[in-house]
Amino acid sequence: MGYVAIKGGGNAIAGAAAATEFLRTNQSLHDAAAQPLAINAVGHQLCRLVDRIVSEGGVYHPTYAALAIKQSLGDALEAAFALRAWRSTMPRLTATPVLDTSRMRLIRRISSAFKDIPGGQMLGSTPDYALRMLRMELLDESPEIFRAFARDWLKGFADDVDADLPDSFPKVMDALRAEGLLPPVDKDRIREAFDITREPLVFPVPRSAALATMARAETGSLLAMAYTNMRGYGDIHPTVAELRVGYLPLLLPHPVTGELAEIGEALITECEVLAMYGADDNGGIPTFGIGYGACFGHNEVKAISMAILDRALQKGMKDGPSNPSEDPEFVLLHVDGIESMGFASHYKMPHYVTFQSDLDRLRTTQSKAGASQ
Amino acid sequence: MAMIERKDCIRALTAHPTTTLAALADELSSGCEVRWTRLPQAGLGLLRLSDGAFHEPYYLGEFPLSVCGVELIDGEGRRAAGAAQVMADDAALARALAILDGVLAARFAGWERIAVLIEAGVSLRAEEDRRRRIMLASTRVDFALLSSDENAGDADED
Repeated sequence: MGYVAIKGGGNAIAGAAAATEFLRTNQSLHDAAAQPLAINAVGHQLCRLVDRIVSEGGVYHPTYAALAIKQSLGDALEAAFALRAWRSTMPRLTATPVLDTSRMRLIRRISSAFKDIPGGQMLGSTPDYALRMLRMELLDESPEIFRAFARDWLKGFADDVDADLPDSFPKVMDALRAEGLLPPVDKDRIREAFDITREPLVFPVPRSAALATMARAETGSLLAMAYTNMRGYGDIHPTVAELRVGYLPLLLPHPVTGELAEIGEALITECEVLAMYGADDNGGIPTFGIGYGACFGHNEVKAISMAILDRALQKGMKDGPSNPSEDPEFVLLHVDGIESMGFASHYKMPHYVTFQSDLDRLRTTQSKAGASQ
Repeated sequence: MAMIERKDCIRALTAHPTTTLAALADELSSGCEVRWTRLPQAGLGLLRLSDGAFHEPYYLGEFPLSVCGVELIDGEGRRAAGAAQVMADDAALARALAILDGVLAARFAGWERIAVLIEAGVSLRAEEDRRRRIMLASTRVDFALLSSDENAGDADED
């Protein structure tokens, strides 16, 4: 903090905190029935925002994410910052064994590659095919109608409505790999995962570091990077093989029996994309390029963006980057919301000494330039 | 009473309020000596996943985790080992679940009450699972390809 050469301001800083709290509570001045936001209501009715915060904060705690949203007045970057700050105070107790997502309790599953996929496509909850029109009736929503909808919706289904659904769904990628259309899984390439919370990114980094970094990246940043590739600064041309949203059972060995036991579940979004096919390095038959994205919460734009960037970065790591989205340093060092927001915000801090230096140099340069004219 | 496997008990029990679990654990352990084999602690776990493209392990992120281990010794000198790991920032919950785990595993006095809670928890979770499956079943889609038939696309409509 060497360049924040100031002291004092304690009363003003405390006043700023109080003014923020006034903003949060001043509805009560105009509305005698005003109520503080219930954390549970934030968690349910703003669940997509909560999903972003758990993902960008890097820790799956929807309740604390809702709290962070409430205390930050809905500022997503500040909320993610608060959640990540909380995680930094907690001890790391263990890591799960390597889990796969084949037993996810799905709530949505689609493919844009195939009309018919084993197990079928289910839209689940999505705005994809909805008109983006404001629902004016929600301006003054009836609590009775609000409470009745979920109950009535469930009543509308027969008891056996889900009878023909399988317990788990095969992955589209597995079917394509079985047909020889994808690169084979190289067991020699599988190594210990890189922990970005304990190790700095020193390039080149393994793919697991890239995946972990993107999994907790800021959604908009990741989208912007991927969008450069989509629009023309890249040639991934992705097709979504499968996009899944669901609850992943988290398993740890039971401390007494050693048997894997479910300790809870996390909502995650997972996406696999197929990219342009290419020749095999070893002279084998050509196969599709593939990319993978996943994140905590329901956040499809983030998972798709990550999958595109995963593929772009694979290409850049192999052949050298030919555009920004293929450059690991360019992508991975600039997508974290907390870091980038922190850097942007620090410009608001007093820089009186450094700017005084700039002023002195400019005046000196001007006077020298004036003297020479 | 249908019992589920020990590995599935946490999911069933955590369908109930924490206060219910803590009260039952306190009651059932009141006649036992409780020794810590692992102190109740709240912290974080790291989720390690296999990626869907190349099956490489990577870390998706962290999750709250509370742990506890106990040894219970009842009035007759019988011993039971119990332990719990639960996805929560709540060491007291882990303590309650570890006690319930030990009581149930050793069939100490009152274990039937835990079994009843588990059975109810299984039902609550099954209802939750069903709501999710309804979201899937009610939105199953079979898009039709464009063809010369101008009504194509409505084939899956009622």
